Amino acid sequence: MAGLQLLSDEGFRTDGRRPNELRRLRCKIGVFTQADGSAYFEMGNTKVLAAVYGPHEVRGSRSKAMHDRVLINCQYSMAVFGGVERKKRPRGDRKSVEMTEHLQQAFESTIFLNLYPRSQIDVFVEVLQSDGSNYCACLNAAMLALVDAGIAVRDIVCASSAGLVESQTIIDMNHVEETQGKTQLIVSLLPKTKKIAVLSLNGRLHDDYWEELMESATKGCMDIFNFMEKNVQEYLASLSTSQSYADD
Amino acid sequence: MSEVANIYRITQPREYQKKFLEAGVRSDGRKLDEFREALIGIGPVSTADGSALVALGETKVICGIKLEVAPPKVDKPRCGYIVPNVDLPPLASSDFRPGPPSELAQVSSQLMLEIVLKSKCVLLEDLCIAEGRMCWVLYCDLICLNYDGNLLDACTMALTAALCNVKLPKAFVNEETGAIEIDFKQKVPLNIRSRPVATTSSVFEKETLYVDPVREELKHASLTVTVVTSNEISGSTVDSDNICVIHKTGGGSVNEEQIEQCISNGRCHTPFVLSLIGSALTKSEV
Repeated sequence: MAGLQLLSDEGFRTDGRRPNELRRLRCKIGVFTQADGSAYFEMGNTKVLAAVYGPHEVRGSRSKAMHDRVLINCQYSMAVFGGVERKKRPRGDRKSVEMTEHLQQAFESTIFLNLYPRSQIDVFVEVLQSDGSNYCACLNAAMLALVDAGIAVRDIVCASSAGLVESQTIIDMNHVEETQGKTQLIVSLLPKTKKIAVLSLNGRLHDDYWEELMESATKGCMDIFNFMEKNVQEYLASLSTSQSYADD
Repeated sequence: MSEVANIYRITQPREYQKKFLEAGVRSDGRKLDEFREALIGIGPVSTADGSALVALGETKVICGIKLEVAPPKVDKPRCGYIVPNVDLPPLASSDFRPGPPSELAQVSSQLMLEIVLKSKCVLLEDLCIAEGRMCWVLYCDLICLNYDGNLLDACTMALTAALCNVKLPKAFVNEETGAIEIDFKQKVPLNIRSRPVATTSSVFEKETLYVDPVREELKHASLTVTVVTSNEISGSTVDSDNICVIHKTGGGSVNEEQIEQCISNGRCHTPFVLSLIGSALTKSEV
């Protein structure tokens, strides 16, 4: 199949990046007033908003409430105008449900579940514009929103994608690279202990390349973690200075 | 805010609001006829064919427009379609629950359609490519990102701004083959004939009329009235005297004077919003 050449002869990708280069990261914590915690995260052209409500009483069926831990309810939603073609169902289709499951798994590994028994934490993610690595951007945004909401977490979970193109590993795939059918690995890491929260591999992979691919994805996660940690510290610093001027 | 006031606000919300309104001010310090600060950003979503982000105080709405082609309706072969849709996701407020579109979302969607059609913002005939064979469909999706009251004003502003940002690819019928060809490289801005502006006012306990309600105030308002001015564009001037839609919700009753007051609020507010949209558009073209 005559596909797009993902890697040029000089080693540049379709958007001019080097194979181990992340896209431009931007984020803003605390963007909404209604939600308990909110964040906006950008990875290149992928723009994601996340909002966290909770912990609050379990809504809907009381039977779902667990006596010793919190119920995490995630919802992944993609804006209909966010992709190249207009998406008819923003949520509820299989891909979205799978993403929602993965998000839930990642947060269950990092939130101190036993601190909020019989309660529910809602995590809502909205993809405004999609250009590849949707899951990673969603996880990162949602993690920042959880921090903003003041939920007790073990670690700041980060996610990054990595792929294999002509035996060269690339980090942070965009939409064009994702749709070419190459091998894609998505890893979600707890940075301090380097433990893996969520891992998902699509496509064929020869055993020889496994370590290299895993290393690339881990490196991507650590780079994103450094960026997120810096932003969280700046945000907390700005909060504390504004608090000191508040009235009694 | 002091502790006592905060406690009063949570335990007696209605009385809290009443105290302010009776004194002729609002709980956030505004006067009864004062609007919140509005900000408009054009073209934030590059995957959409036209987009706008509006922040009306804390209420934030994003509008994305996608173009598609479709055969026109049999009884209207020379008209295209406009399909507005208002989405109120649970991320915007704890008032919105996950699930099928709520009543508010459905009513707002229908109202957006009425506003676009009645103000003749976009003539459906302008969306025709080939009579009876193909026409443009404008899917206008409005997503509320943060809900703090006055959804309709923010949605109308976002829709108007996004429509002004849409560029239609050139579509023409090939003379020889009769086939329809669309050239995506050549784009023409959509012909916007008017810029509708909505102004919402609320009434508290039959007497006090105030504009631009916030979520807290809406809980205790007996009704809201939305007035939409159509503002036709003729040449370079904008004629802002025509009203195209008036929408009243809520169980309370309102007298003629109050409706007159709402209409005049709408008229006064319109030039301000139009200039905001105008300056946002010129900034985006730079």
